[in-house]
Amino acid sequence: MTDPVTLAALVLVVALILYALFGGADFGGGIWTALAFGPRAREQREALFNAIGPVWETNHVWLIFIVVTLFTAFPSGFAALFIALMPPLVLALIGINFRGAAFAFRHYGRETGREVPLSARVFEIASVLTPFTLGMAVSATASGTITINYGVTATGTSVWLTPFTLMGGLIGLAICAYLAPVYMTVRVAPPLQDDFRDAAIAAGVALGIATAAMIPLALRYAPRFSQRLLESWPMFFVVLAVFAGVGTQLLLLWRRFRGAQLCAGATVVLTVAGFAAALAPDLIVGEMSLEAAAAPRASLVAYLAILPFGALILIPSLVFLYWTFRGEPSSALPPAGSESGSSEKM
Amino acid sequence: MDNLLAARALMGVSLAFHIVYATLGIGLPLMLMLAEGLALKTGDDTWHLLARRWIRPAGVLFAIGAVSGTILSFELGLLWPQFMAFSGPMIGLAFSMEGFAFFTEAIFLALYIYGEERLSRRALFLCTIPLTLASAVSAVFVISANGWMNTPAGFQMIDGAPANVQPMRAFFNQAWLHQAVHGTLAAYVATAFAVAGFYAVALLKGRGGGDGKKALSLSLFVALVAAPLMLVTGDWAAYAVAEHQTAKLAAMEAHFKTSAAAPLIIGGWPDPETGTVSYAIRIPKLLSLLAHHDPDAVVQGLDAFPQGTTPDPRLVHPFFDLMVGSFFVMALALVWYWWARWRKNETEPGRAQLKYLAFAAPFGIIALESGWMVTEFGRQPWVVKGYLRTSQAVTPNDGLLLVFATFLFVYLALTAGIMRLLLQRQQKGTGGEVSHD
Repeated sequence: MTDPVTLAALVLVVALILYALFGGADFGGGIWTALAFGPRAREQREALFNAIGPVWETNHVWLIFIVVTLFTAFPSGFAALFIALMPPLVLALIGINFRGAAFAFRHYGRETGREVPLSARVFEIASVLTPFTLGMAVSATASGTITINYGVTATGTSVWLTPFTLMGGLIGLAICAYLAPVYMTVRVAPPLQDDFRDAAIAAGVALGIATAAMIPLALRYAPRFSQRLLESWPMFFVVLAVFAGVGTQLLLLWRRFRGAQLCAGATVVLTVAGFAAALAPDLIVGEMSLEAAAAPRASLVAYLAILPFGALILIPSLVFLYWTFRGEPSSALPPAGSESGSSEKM
Repeated sequence: MDNLLAARALMGVSLAFHIVYATLGIGLPLMLMLAEGLALKTGDDTWHLLARRWIRPAGVLFAIGAVSGTILSFELGLLWPQFMAFSGPMIGLAFSMEGFAFFTEAIFLALYIYGEERLSRRALFLCTIPLTLASAVSAVFVISANGWMNTPAGFQMIDGAPANVQPMRAFFNQAWLHQAVHGTLAAYVATAFAVAGFYAVALLKGRGGGDGKKALSLSLFVALVAAPLMLVTGDWAAYAVAEHQTAKLAAMEAHFKTSAAAPLIIGGWPDPETGTVSYAIRIPKLLSLLAHHDPDAVVQGLDAFPQGTTPDPRLVHPFFDLMVGSFFVMALALVWYWWARWRKNETEPGRAQLKYLAFAAPFGIIALESGWMVTEFGRQPWVVKGYLRTSQAVTPNDGLLLVFATFLFVYLALTAGIMRLLLQRQQKGTGGEVSHD
C-alpha cells in the first residue's frame, strides 16, 4: 500500500477524479449553454458563463497535472498511451484550445458590447468534443485494444475506435452534463433553479442509461476489464455509484439541492474510482502494469515528496478561490476599465 | 516533409507561439503588482485604474497561454514519446513543481481579474504578489527541464538505459541557473517593451494622456532594472555555455576551427562546407575573452567534434546575433528615455523618442524568441545532449504532417482571433486600454 508506485497511482486517480469533478462541471457548463432550453434559455447561458469565468483556467490545470503526473511517475506508460491514442488526444487538444480561446474571446468581446456568436458556437462545440474524446481515450486504456509487442506500441483506428470507447466518450459527456446543472442549483434562485433542476434530472437519467448500456458493451468488447470489474471488489464501487446516482435524483426531486450536489459528486467519484480499481494493477489493461510503467523509485519518491509542499499552497488557494466566487454567479465585468470611469478621469 | 521534420516543425511552431504568451504571462503580473502597490502607497488611484485596464488583454493572453501550454504538454507525448520515456524520471520533477506554480497563477489571476466586487483593494493587491511570484517561479522550474536537455545530469547510462536516477541532480543541472535567470529577466524586459511600445503608439496618436506617461514610466523602469542584468547574465550564460556546451558555443559564434586568441565574429553568413564566414565583422581575441575570460585562450571550434554531432551554425549564429542586436536596440531606447528625463527633469517624451520606442517595442520578444532558437537549434542533432538524438525520440505514428497542418490552422485561427479582438476594440474606441479620452 505504501510503496511509491501505488501511491503515485493513487495520486493519478485522485487527480483524475478532481478533473472530472471540476473540469467536468466546466465542460458541462459549455454543454448546457448549447442545450439551454425554455423561456429562460438566455438567462441559463448567462449564469453558466458567469459561473465558469473565474474558475475555468484553474479547473483546466487538473488536466495538465494528470499529464505531468503520468510522464513523471509512469513515463513508459505515458509514451505508450500517447502513441496508441494519438488521434483522440489530438482531437481533445483541438477542443481544449478552441474552448479556452472562444471563452476568452466571448468574455472579453462581450465587455466591449459586441455579441460574439461565433465564439459562443465554437465554445459549445468544443465543450462537447473535448470530454467525448477524453472519455474515449480514458476508456481505451481498459478496452484491451492497446497492444505492445516487444516494446512497440500498435497504432491504428482499431486501437481507440470501438463501441466500448465510443460509449466511454458518451459517458464522459454525460458526467459533465450531469455535474454542471446540479452544481448550479445551489447557486441560483428560482425560477432559474428549477430549470437547472430539470436539466440535472435529465442528465442523470442519460448518465444512468449510458452506464447501463456500457455493461453489455464491456462484456463483449472489453472482456478482461469487465471481468475484473464485475467479479471482484471493484463491483462494490459500482453498487455504491448506482445508489448515489439514484439518491441524487431523489434529492433533486425533493429540492434538497445541497445534498444533491454532494451526492452527484459522490456518484462521479465512485464511478471513476470503480473504473480505476478495476484497471489496477494495470495502467493499460492486460498489457502494461503500473509497476512496469513506473519511473525509477528515486523519481517516484522525489515526486511524492514535493506533493505535500504543493498541496500546502494549492489547497488554501483553491478554497479561497471557490469561497470568493461562491453564491450567485455575477457577471463581474471588471469595472475599472469601464468607459464611464475612465472618461471621468481623463 | 518527413515525419521527423513535421514533428520538429510542429513543436517549433507551438513553442514559438506559446513563448509570446508565456512571456507576457510572466511580465504582466509584475507590472500589475507594481501598479497596484503604487496605488496603495501613493493614494493615487490612477495607478489602480491603469492596472485594471490591463486585465482585459491580460485575461485573453493568459487564456491563450494556458491552452497553448496544454498543447505543449500533450505534444511531449504525441510527438516525442521516446524522449519522455527516457527523460520523464529526470525532468518530471521540474514539470510537477511547475504544475503547482501554474495552479497558483491561475487561481490568483482569476481572483485579481474577477474579484473587484468581492475583494478589498488591499486584497486585490495581495493577490498580485503570489501571482507574480508563481509566474516567475514557473518559468524557473520549466527552464530546468530545458536546461537538463542541454546539460543532462542525475543519471548514469547502463546498457543503453538511464539508471541510478537522481532527480534533484537532474533538476539542478549545469545549465539551469543561468538559463532560468537570463530567461526570466528576458520575459520582464520583453513585456516592459511591449507595454511601452503600446503606450508610445497611443501617445503618438494623441491618446492615452496621463495614463500613457504613467505606463511608460512604469514599464521602462522595469526594463531599466532588468536590462543591465540581462547583460550580466548573458555574459554568465556565454561563459557557462563555453564550458558545458562547447558545440553550441561554436555554432553560436560561427567558430569553425579550434584556435587560440579567437576573434568574435559578428554578422555574416557561415558556410559549413568551407568552414568560413562571409561578410562578417571580426573583433580580435574577443571570443576567447568572453568565453574563457582570457584573450589568448583556446576556443574549441565545430571541428573539434565528430561529424554529425554538431549543430548547423546557419541556424544558430544569425539568431544569436539577432538576440544580441535586439538587446542593443532596446538599450538605446532605455538610455534615451532615462537620459532625457534626467536632463529635462520632466516626463514628456518627444515624438522622435516615442517613434523609436514604438520601433524598439517588439525587440524584447524577438530577442527572447531568437535566444530560444539559439538554445534549441544549438543542441541539435540531440534532444538530450550526448544521449538521445531528436530522430530517435519521434513518435512512430504516421501522418504527422496532417497534425502539423491542423495545429498550424489552430494557431492561425487563434492569432486572427486575438488580433481581431485587440485591434477592433481600438478602432471602435469602446473601452480599450488607450481610447478613453
